[in-house]
Amino acid sequence: MAIKYAYHPGNVSHSSSPEVAVTMESFARAMGITLVPLPGATSCGAGIVRQANRRLQLTLNARTFAMAEVEGLNILTPCAATAGNLQEDLKALQSDQILLQEVNETLQNTCGLTMTGEVEVHHILHAIVDEIGLDKLEEKVKNPIDFTIAGYYGPNIQQEGACGGDDVYDPNYLEQVITTLGGTPVSWEARTQSVGVPGLFGEESTVMKQAAEALSEAKSEGADLIVSACNLSQAVLDIYQGKAGRNTGLSTNIPVIHLCEMLSFALGCHNKRLALLRTRIAVIGD
Amino acid sequence: MAIVSVYIEEGCITCDACEETLPEVFHVTDDTCFIKADVRLDGGYDRNEAKAGLKPETISQFQDDILDAADGCPVDVIIVVEGGEVEATVEEDVPAVVEVVPESAEEETVEVVGDDLAQLLTAGDRSLAILFGSQSGNSEALAAKFAKQASDYGLEGKVYDMDGFDFASLSSMKRVLIVCSTWGEGEMPDNAEDLWQVAKNASPGSLNGVHYSVLALGDTSYELFCESGKDWDEQLEKLGATRLVERVDCDVDYESMAAAWAVDSLAAMAAVDGTGVFHEEMVQAIKEYVAGGDEGADGEDGFTVPDISGESIQAEISIFRYHPVSSTTGSDTWVCAMPGHLSLLEALRAIKSTHDGSLSFRDGTSDDSTTAICVNGRLVLPGLVRLDSVAPIRDGTLRLRIDPLPGFEVIRDLVVDHWSMERRRESTKPWMVAATRGGASTMQGDIGLMEPNVATALHSITDFGSSALLQASSDAVPHANGYLGPAVLASVWARRNDPRTSTSSVNGLDEILASSNGIKAETDLASIRRQNGSGLVVSEALLDAKTHVLERDAFNGRHGKHVWWYTWTLKSSGKVNDTVLYRQVLGPIGLLGNLTSGVTARMMTGFSRTGGDMITDMLAFIAPPAGIGKMPRQFNSSVDNHHEVVAIFNELDGRF
Repeated sequence: MAIKYAYHPGNVSHSSSPEVAVTMESFARAMGITLVPLPGATSCGAGIVRQANRRLQLTLNARTFAMAEVEGLNILTPCAATAGNLQEDLKALQSDQILLQEVNETLQNTCGLTMTGEVEVHHILHAIVDEIGLDKLEEKVKNPIDFTIAGYYGPNIQQEGACGGDDVYDPNYLEQVITTLGGTPVSWEARTQSVGVPGLFGEESTVMKQAAEALSEAKSEGADLIVSACNLSQAVLDIYQGKAGRNTGLSTNIPVIHLCEMLSFALGCHNKRLALLRTRIAVIGD
Repeated sequence: MAIVSVYIEEGCITCDACEETLPEVFHVTDDTCFIKADVRLDGGYDRNEAKAGLKPETISQFQDDILDAADGCPVDVIIVVEGGEVEATVEEDVPAVVEVVPESAEEETVEVVGDDLAQLLTAGDRSLAILFGSQSGNSEALAAKFAKQASDYGLEGKVYDMDGFDFASLSSMKRVLIVCSTWGEGEMPDNAEDLWQVAKNASPGSLNGVHYSVLALGDTSYELFCESGKDWDEQLEKLGATRLVERVDCDVDYESMAAAWAVDSLAAMAAVDGTGVFHEEMVQAIKEYVAGGDEGADGEDGFTVPDISGESIQAEISIFRYHPVSSTTGSDTWVCAMPGHLSLLEALRAIKSTHDGSLSFRDGTSDDSTTAICVNGRLVLPGLVRLDSVAPIRDGTLRLRIDPLPGFEVIRDLVVDHWSMERRRESTKPWMVAATRGGASTMQGDIGLMEPNVATALHSITDFGSSALLQASSDAVPHANGYLGPAVLASVWARRNDPRTSTSSVNGLDEILASSNGIKAETDLASIRRQNGSGLVVSEALLDAKTHVLERDAFNGRHGKHVWWYTWTLKSSGKVNDTVLYRQVLGPIGLLGNLTSGVTARMMTGFSRTGGDMITDMLAFIAPPAGIGKMPRQFNSSVDNHHEVVAIFNELDGRF
């Protein structure tokens, strides 16, 4: 299998979620996926930069698209927020030639780059199901992830045109992947709902309630752990789950890992971490 | 040179000059002039574009008058064909100037074999004679209409007035339609009487090889209803003609019956090939071909009704239940088979009427905005979605989980109370406070003006079908006490940007937007954006509103600082720096709060979850705070060519 992507690790995999970057790379190696780094790519803006200046976020992401086009590769990211924001900006540029021309003028003046829009953005989840194939994934499984798992999508990749062949409102790609890896998916409502990451600092009390509801629902549905397709959401659901539980009185202690971790563990990478995860699930709880 | 024919070109102004000069030859109609049938060799009644010859007695009697009429025509559309010219044109494109029907059968020996529809409709003689007997003009109008329709069937329809029609020419025609009304007590119309007398006395078998059908017009209030049509029908059969479609007798409201007869008759006539053989097996194919067949989707032609029926679906429908008296909640599941074309609202009605009369939901018209519910996480108006498209069918079963709209108080089952949203709307004083402004003076009085693009933009912001549905699309609404919500804020933002709004009202609306319950309380616009078409437009508008509020507040407050410092760190290194965010946005008190609430501890013990080195993490307690466990780094390394990022910032936004 010779699959090659321009790799965008997402916003926080270089800082508060280093495990995403590590497991994404080990998973890709195990699957024979070539990740071509884009060392000049900036943060996608996470929908926050555009609150200050919409054109600014658009142009920064256009620079990332231009770099991927130079490589002749589509972009792959493990972060749902990054996938959603990049796709939103890409669609805006593709559908408005005047905007594209203006952005290209800025890019040309500042970076000597231009973009055509002939690039695609894929989240790792959609790449696995739509391009790599679940059968190929199943062949590589060494450690079945035999837990009851709540898959969390978040709202960013569940947009029209941003979720591959999956259904916008009633997705099941993550559940298919969980089943393929030997797990048992649970059905829960909060899986496509926002946990309010863009409002974390400004509206923390609301975000804590949103996070607590997702965590407690997953627990009440019998999940052993939550697997998130989004770096930012995973960081919040993991780091803030104690505070969210105390603020709301809900039971929120449940392990939250990223999709890349689950994939990597299943393919036999980082066995100690999988053992640690088993211990957390069996003994510690969160 | 002698006259042989006369015809009328396009452009007649119906001035009546020709008819006044020679009424025996010219007849001015409402929109043109016709050459009368009884002076023509072909018996036709039209402008004689085919340049059919005039009868010798007409020429000898009226030659000078015809020339005078042509000279007197103010627009020169009367064209007289003289002998020499006729000969010159015969070899080109006017083959029937002097000699009229019958045309040579040798030229039309194309016989259709098999089911070649295209060959049948195009090969050989495709002429169709439509004879009308009319007293009031209805039959004549219908005949003209059918002649036009004939071209759709690959036929060359030609209308003949029965008055002056040469009965002998009928025997050489393969396809004949008769449209005849009845006058008085079963009498022929005046223009048909002479021809009828000839036909009545014709020899049996004289019309062998002729295919025909009759449309009879009449009035049931008369004793002898459609008698003339019946007479023609019987007599043609007696004379050996073949009836292809049964006669239709129409009452005074004849349009629909006549139209249906035309469809059948024209299709049957079209199925007669150039040699006169009737291909009955092709009639249906011709009808489908003319109706559109496979050429386009149903309904595209504006006439056929598309088939919207769907196959039966195996459904498993779980519905949220809440009983207000016992305060019990749960869900009931029905497993049933339902037609896929049912709307979700119809499905709910069916369950209520056949399984559980206590099931409560808001009923109404299909687009009733208050009927909104949540289906598998999708917010819908149930009257506008079909069962077979509301959610994907997996493993042969449609599994639906139907819940009340999120963010509203549930009254019972799927019925929610919209009052909370209305109270929030009320708090925004949702009425127009208009500024005194200039306008334009019109005949209707002075009116205010608005740029079209502004009007369109404002309309698009508030053009959401259901306020309740839009309000529920925000995932923050159920958790943020007092948050006004997207439906209320979209209206506020539209009013704030309405050029008619007064300055003081704009200031008041800005205060509402910037308040703690305003746009900053929305934690994630992505949840609104994903729901439906209007969600996309509204989320864009609310993003503008948020930018406006942040700039108005000079990026102060936690929300403003978050946006400011996030963007600032991006300029600094190309990556977000969480440490800077925590420090600048939360400040010392906020950081202390994180320390006591366990957030910092979970970051620092991140090694237990990231697989990092515990010793390194332990160092975090000695040399805090960053770069360890899940603690973000103090400093980011910059992205490659970072100067390009700085250049983009400098070009687009010098504030950072």
